[in-house]
Amino acid sequence: MKFGYYPGCSLEGSGAEYAHSAEAVLAALGVELEEVDDWVCCGATPAHATSHLLPVALSAIACAAAEKQGLETILTCCAACFSRLKQGNHDMQNDPALLAQINEIVEEDYHGGVAILHLAEVLVRRIGLQAIQRRVRKPLTGLKVACYYGCLLTRMPEPLRIDSLEYPTLMDDLMRAAGAEPVDWPFKTECCGAALTLARGETVVRLSGSVVEMAKDCGADILAVACPLCQANLDMYQSDSESKLGRQLGIPVLYFTQLLAVAFDLAADAQCLNKGIVDPLPVLADRGLIETGVYL
Amino acid sequence: MKHQLAGKAFHSEFLAAVEKHCEQEISACYQCGKCSAGCPVFEDMAIAPNRVIRMVQLGLKEDALKNEMIWCCAGCSACTCRCPIGIDLARMMDTLRQMATHDGVPMPPDGARVFTFFQAFLDSVREFGRLSEVALMGSYNINSGRIMTNVVKAPWFLLKGKVGIIPHKIKRTDRLKRVFRRIEEIEGS
Repeated sequence: MKFGYYPGCSLEGSGAEYAHSAEAVLAALGVELEEVDDWVCCGATPAHATSHLLPVALSAIACAAAEKQGLETILTCCAACFSRLKQGNHDMQNDPALLAQINEIVEEDYHGGVAILHLAEVLVRRIGLQAIQRRVRKPLTGLKVACYYGCLLTRMPEPLRIDSLEYPTLMDDLMRAAGAEPVDWPFKTECCGAALTLARGETVVRLSGSVVEMAKDCGADILAVACPLCQANLDMYQSDSESKLGRQLGIPVLYFTQLLAVAFDLAADAQCLNKGIVDPLPVLADRGLIETGVYL
Repeated sequence: MKHQLAGKAFHSEFLAAVEKHCEQEISACYQCGKCSAGCPVFEDMAIAPNRVIRMVQLGLKEDALKNEMIWCCAGCSACTCRCPIGIDLARMMDTLRQMATHDGVPMPPDGARVFTFFQAFLDSVREFGRLSEVALMGSYNINSGRIMTNVVKAPWFLLKGKVGIIPHKIKRTDRLKRVFRRIEEIEGS
C-alpha cells in the first residue's frame, strides 16, 4: 500500500515526534510513503482568517504536485493540515470556476484528482484494526488512554467528515486494538485554545486546563492526541493550569502514534518518549511497557 | 447585556455584503444561541457570537467590525457544526476579520495581537514556503511589543529539541511570492 505524504511544518519542528512515530508505525505495517514534492505550508488558521483565496491556493500547490507525481492520495498527520487541504481540495473539486482561477494564480494545471486522507482513517479503514492488532508485540494492557480529538480533525462540512462530530471514535478504536483501555469521557472535541497561545495565553490555560482536568477526573493515565497544537497546549501549559486550578494533574500528552509505536515495540527513536514536558516514562514503566534505562 | 442602539448608524447594505462575501444566509439566524453556548472563548469575551450575528443583521457595521470577538475566535468551528440551520459562523468570522482589515478599522488590543500573529505566520510562509516556529515567535514578540511572550517556555523547546533553528525552505519560493502578490491584487489588501 502506498500513499502520498504531506508532513506539514509542525512535524518538521515542534511535532517531530509525531512524524517519527507515524512514519515508523506505517513502515511496520508495510505502508510506503512518497513525500509530495516541494510541498508548501497549508496556511493553517492565519491564511483562512485573512484571505478567501490564499488557503485554497496553498492547498492547490500541494495537490497539483501530488497529481504530477502520479499520486492519488495525500496522507496527512496534523489535524490542521488535514482540515485545510481537504477543504481547499473539496472547494476546487466542486467549483470549476474556482479551480480555473486558482490554477492561474498558482501556475499549475490541477485537475482535482487527489484525495486527502488523515492518518487515523488510513489506519482504521485502509489498513484495518485486525492488521494493527496482529502487529502488536507489547499490548498496552491496563493503560487508560483519553483520546483527545480537538477541533479540526472532526469539525468539517458534512460531506468531508471522517468521524462523528461530537463523539469521534477512530483513535479509541486504535488504542483498543493496541490493547489499551480507551476512557469514555466528554471532552474529546473541546477546544484547547488553538493558536491563541501567543496572543491570549490565559484563554489557552483555561481551556487546555479544563481538558486535562476532565481526562484526569475520568480516570485517564495518559492523553492521546492527533494535532501538534493540541499536544503543545495540553503539555506545555499543564503546569500553568495546575497553578490556576490549585491541583496536581500530571497527565502525559502523547501522539496516538507514539503509543502505537510502544505497542509495536519499535525502536526508541520511533517512540520519542523523551520529548514531552509531563514525563510519560513513569506511567509506562509502571505498566511494564518500557524499560526506562533505554531513555536515560 | 443590553446593546445601546440610540445614536448608532445602520448600514442597510452591510448584511448583504457580508452574506455575499461568506456565502452564508446570515439573515436566516433566529437567535437560538447554540453558537454561543458552545463557543470556547466566549467566557473571556464581552460579546457573544450570536450577538455578532445580530449586529450584522441590523447593519451595525462599526460594532461588528471593531469588537474583539471576531479576532479572538479560535476558529474551532463548534458554532458552525451546531447551528441548527447550517450557518457557517466561523466563515462569517473570517469575512468580518477580512472586512475589518480591508477597511482599516481600529483593532482592540487583543485583536491587534492576533493580527500580528497571523502576519508573522504568513510572513514566514511567504519567505520560506513553510512555517518557521522560531521566526514566528521572534517576529511576534518584536512586533506585538510583548517581548517576553513564552520566553519562560523557551528552555524546554531548546532542551527537548522541539524547534529547529534553521528554517526549512522550499525550492520554488519565487513562484510562491507571485502567488501571494496575485492574491493581494485580487483581494485588494
